[in-house]
Amino acid sequence: MKNIYIMLHFLTLILLVLIMGSCSQMRTIPGLPATHPQALALGQQVDCAECHEDQQKGSMKAFNSFSHTPSFIKNHRFYAASDDRLCSTCHKSSFCNDCHTNKVEMKPSIRYGNRPDREFQHRGNYITLHKIEGKLDPASCYRCHGRANNERCVACHK
Amino acid sequence: MKKTCSSLVCLWLLATTFSSALAADVTVDSSILAGFAKRDVSGASKEKLVPATQFLGLTAYKLLDGSLSAHFYGWGRTDFADKSYNDAKTTGSLTYGYLQYGFNNANSNVRAGRLFVREGIINEQIDGLSFRAGLPMGLGLSAFGGAPVHNVHINGENSDGKGDSIYGGRVNYRYKGLLEIGLSGVYESDAPAMLTHSTGDYRKIGGDLWFTPLNAVDLIGHSSYNPETQSFAEHTYMLNVKPIRHLVLTGEFNEHHEQSYLYSWTMFSAALNPNDKSRSLGISASYQVGNNLEISTDYKRFTREFGSADRTGGDARVKYKDNAIRGGIGYHYLNAGEGFAIGANPSASYHEVRCYIMHDSKSYFTAVDLLSDIFKEKIYGQGSSWEAVTTLGYHLTSTLALSGDFSYGRNQQFTEEAKALLRLTYNMPYTGIGGNK
Repeated sequence: MKNIYIMLHFLTLILLVLIMGSCSQMRTIPGLPATHPQALALGQQVDCAECHEDQQKGSMKAFNSFSHTPSFIKNHRFYAASDDRLCSTCHKSSFCNDCHTNKVEMKPSIRYGNRPDREFQHRGNYITLHKIEGKLDPASCYRCHGRANNERCVACHK
Repeated sequence: MKKTCSSLVCLWLLATTFSSALAADVTVDSSILAGFAKRDVSGASKEKLVPATQFLGLTAYKLLDGSLSAHFYGWGRTDFADKSYNDAKTTGSLTYGYLQYGFNNANSNVRAGRLFVREGIINEQIDGLSFRAGLPMGLGLSAFGGAPVHNVHINGENSDGKGDSIYGGRVNYRYKGLLEIGLSGVYESDAPAMLTHSTGDYRKIGGDLWFTPLNAVDLIGHSSYNPETQSFAEHTYMLNVKPIRHLVLTGEFNEHHEQSYLYSWTMFSAALNPNDKSRSLGISASYQVGNNLEISTDYKRFTREFGSADRTGGDARVKYKDNAIRGGIGYHYLNAGEGFAIGANPSASYHEVRCYIMHDSKSYFTAVDLLSDIFKEKIYGQGSSWEAVTTLGYHLTSTLALSGDFSYGRNQQFTEEAKALLRLTYNMPYTGIGGNK
C-alpha cells in the first residue's frame, strides 16, 4: 500500500513539472465564459438545445447533454463531477450548497417551501421513511451525510 | 458558535467594503426565516420551537483587473423558545468564503479560502487552495490542498473523525467531443481516535469516463478504489439516449462495496455490515409534450445481501403563462420485503402520492403542496402519513419578497405536527449569472 502512495506522490511531481512547461501554451486553449451571457427565467427548465446545437468550446461537450431534463436533474451529480465549471456559469455555488454542505441548518424543502416545483430530497415524513430508504441504498445517504453534515445522523446511529 | 456568527458579519462588512473600494459588481442574497412549530412527540413532552435564521450570500465580480471575484455564503440561527436542536441556542456556519482568480483561457482558475472541490471522484469542503487548468493536447489538471472543514460537532465526541490535512487532484484527457477520461485521488492525514465511534483513514483513487459516440448518446460515470481496504469502493454509470427531440431514455448502474466505500463514515461500524454490497439498476424515460407538459416514468431495482426491492412510478409537470403557473403530480410504489422493513414488520412496501400547484405574478405568489405515504403494513400503529404545505407571498419590490408558509401533517414520529414560517428574501439580480436562480 505504501508503494501506491509513493507512486501517487511521484506522479504529482511529474504533473507539476508538466503544467509548468505547458503554461506558455495555455493562451491558445479556449475556455468557458465566466457567466452565461443571458439571464434565465426563474423556474425555467433550461433546454440548452433551444439555442445551442454545437459543442461548448471550453469543455468540448455537447450543449444538448446539459439540458435540464428530469433525468439530468436526478442525475446531476455525474455532470457536476466532471464539469462544475459549466454549472457555475449560471448557478452560484450557494445553489448547490443549500443541500450539499458540511452543515445544513434546515431541510431545503422547508427553506424553499414556496418552491414545490424544485427537486428536493426528504420532503414530508422522511424521518420515518429514512429507516426504509437507508437500507435500500446506504450509499445515497453517504454522499451527503457521510463525512459531512452527519451530526444529526450520529445522534441516533451510535 | 457566537464566533461563527461574528465571523459572518465581519466577512460581509469586509467584503462589502473591499468590493466597494474596487468598484466591483456585487450581488447580495439574503433570506431571513422566522419559524414557529409545535410538536406533540409520541411518548414525550410537547415542544415549542421559535427559531430565526439568517442566510446570507455575497458575491463580488470583476475585482482588480476583472478576473478576481470574492464569494461568501453562510447562515446563523437563534432559538427564542425550546432548542431546535441539541446544540447551543445560537449557532451558525460559514459555508464558503473564497477568492477566485479566473484566467480567460483553458478553463483555468485559482481559488483560496473555504471552498468546495468537485473533481471526478472527489467531493470535498476544504479550507485551503485549489487550481485547475486546461493543458495542450487535450490534457487537463486540477489539484487542491488544505485542511478539511471541521465545523460539525458530534455529540459526546472530541472530533468529527476527519484528519488534519487533505490534498488531491485530477488529471484528465479529452479527445475532441468524443471522449473524456480522468484519474483522481484524495489523501487525508490519519483519522483521529474517537471516543465512542470508529472511523477509518480517508483515502481514495478512481477513474471517471464521459463517452459521447453520438450527439444524442452520453455514457458517464466513475469507479473508485480504496487503497486502505485494497478493494473497489464504487462503480456508478449512467447512459443517456435522446433518440428524438424531447425524449430522454436513461439507464443507470450503481454498485457499492460497503467496507470500502463507507470506510471513513463514523456511523459505519454501528449501522452497516462491512461485508455487505449494494447494487441498483434503474431505467427511466421522460418526454416533453408541447411546451407545457412533461411526463416521466421510472423503475429501479435495489439488491442487497438480504433481499431485493423495486420502485416504480411516474411524474407529470405542467406550466402555463410563461411559467407563472406550475403544477405537478407524482406516484411511486416501493415493493420491499421484511429485510428493508422497520422493526419486525413483514413488509416495507408503501405508496407515495404527491401533487402541487403554484402561481407567481408580479405582485403575489402562492403554492400548495400535498404529500402522502400509504404503507402496506402499519408502522407504529399508523397505516399512513401526510403533510400539506401552503404558501402565500408578496413581492414588495422586484428584489424583496415577504412570504409565509403553514404546514400541517400527521406521521409516525409526531402524531401531529404544525409549522409556520415567515420568510423575507432579498435577491439582488445579476444578469450575468443567470438571474437569481
